Amino acid sequence: MDRQYYLDLAASGLKMPIGTHLVLHEHADHDAIPNDGRRLGGVIEEAARRFGCPMALPLMDLKLEKEALLLARGVAPAEIDTFHFTETPGGDWEVPLTRKMGAVCEAIQYIAGQTDLLPVGMGIGPFSLMTKLITDPITPVFLAGGGATADEEEEVELVERLLQLASKTIRLYLNAQIQAGAKAIILCEPAANKVYFSPIQLEESHDIFDRYVMDLNREIREQLRAADVDLIFHDCGELTDGMVSRFATLDPAMISLGCSRVLWEDARLLPKTTVLYGNLPTKQFYSDELVSIARVRELSDELLRRMREVGHPFILGSECDVLSVPGYEQTIMAKVDEFLKSE
Amino acid sequence: MNDIHPLSAAIIAGKRKDVSELVQACITAGESAQFIVESHLVPAMAIVGERFKNNEIFVPEMLIAARAMKEALKILEPMLVEAGVKPEFNAVIGTVEGDLHDIGKNLVAMMWKGANIDVIDLGVNVPPAKFVEAIRDNNARLVGLSALLTTTMPAMRETVKAIREAGLSPKIMIGGAPITHEYATEIGADGFAADAGSAVDAAMALLKS
Repeated sequence: MDRQYYLDLAASGLKMPIGTHLVLHEHADHDAIPNDGRRLGGVIEEAARRFGCPMALPLMDLKLEKEALLLARGVAPAEIDTFHFTETPGGDWEVPLTRKMGAVCEAIQYIAGQTDLLPVGMGIGPFSLMTKLITDPITPVFLAGGGATADEEEEVELVERLLQLASKTIRLYLNAQIQAGAKAIILCEPAANKVYFSPIQLEESHDIFDRYVMDLNREIREQLRAADVDLIFHDCGELTDGMVSRFATLDPAMISLGCSRVLWEDARLLPKTTVLYGNLPTKQFYSDELVSIARVRELSDELLRRMREVGHPFILGSECDVLSVPGYEQTIMAKVDEFLKSE
Repeated sequence: MNDIHPLSAAIIAGKRKDVSELVQACITAGESAQFIVESHLVPAMAIVGERFKNNEIFVPEMLIAARAMKEALKILEPMLVEAGVKPEFNAVIGTVEGDLHDIGKNLVAMMWKGANIDVIDLGVNVPPAKFVEAIRDNNARLVGLSALLTTTMPAMRETVKAIREAGLSPKIMIGGAPITHEYATEIGADGFAADAGSAVDAAMALLKS
């Protein structure tokens, strides 16, 4: 797609939350809708219209790929959420799309065929999916970063095998969304952060980050490029400058970062062809103690002013998916509405 | 680390293999298991917690240290059981129902164990009734509730309510990325820890209050 599209959106002063979850939860049967592609498409459209966003942003459900991978492996549905591999799985197995994945694709088809919105797909990144498949991914990543190999440490062997399986599953799902009509993909890699990778180790070398995160994301980038689909890269984890600089090499059309980052400082790490998106602390919007409505306005105004000063293409938005919290729905929505009014 | 005992130093550095040898050396030198825990393991994990709080080390280094501590406990725990030595305090910990995240919970459990608290880890997605049962069965003095997601915070309220309605009165501490002191007070919890590094001090303050 023409990258100018995103630059024009930024230049137009667009402000938008990743807010489909908020709108979904205004529907009484919100648990049923993600299984029904046509209705899911309707909710995605409703969210885009509500927030004045020309992009149809999907639900950020980062459990879909784990479910597909494990169902295909024969894990019982009731055990999927808490299932972790304890030994390296051998062999290969086909991963069919799940019902929810099918519904996402149907929703994309609806957006692409029946609306004027940009159909956007979504997937979890390979590293983040791997972290959901074992009990402790941090220790083996640290050991591998210290030079341990798969031959020396079983835990490292397990991680490396699961990265392969994760990558395969994700690419299959992304391909299905592209076939359904997605023109951009939000690739969410929130676990590629300072919790899973020691900044002390990274000071010595980024080799482990490059091997476990970047190489696999680069393969996905090439998959999208071959299909003329744009990359919107999302990572709301706590990041180092080195991590952000590496994400920049993926040449995303947009990059969405969490509120631990100072976006006007990060602008220097990114090409002017990558629109920065974010990064209001929406995970705290439920609490007036953490962030009052007046503070939302202050933060929004400051972000807009600072980003104008550095002259980097920017879209004001949320640090992540804005989740609907039972009992706090109105508080959260009022703060979203407040930042959408910023100038 | 010149004035730190070599066993403590090995734990802090996460040198698992050295830890086994050093524990054996302490035992051979006549140190009791209780003395080794209290004089070498607990201080080592206290240093780890302090360095984490000060951003001198990060989660991976903490986990590697905990892994080394576990190696020591593998040797020492049978000796402690045989000697009838029990930690002064015990705790139940878990991630609340609907939430599958466990890094924060694991770190706190590890730091509490490192402070010589007997920790029963209920895992993730724990329903209120399971917390109640575990507290009752173990006569737990302390409970840790963890949640990463704003959407699962209400399950903390339900869990605190269920514990209190069951007539149980352990000290309840909550924590997790979206949690605030205000929220802890609002739902009737006794305390809150902003991170795993401060979870030991917060727990001890509650247990000794």
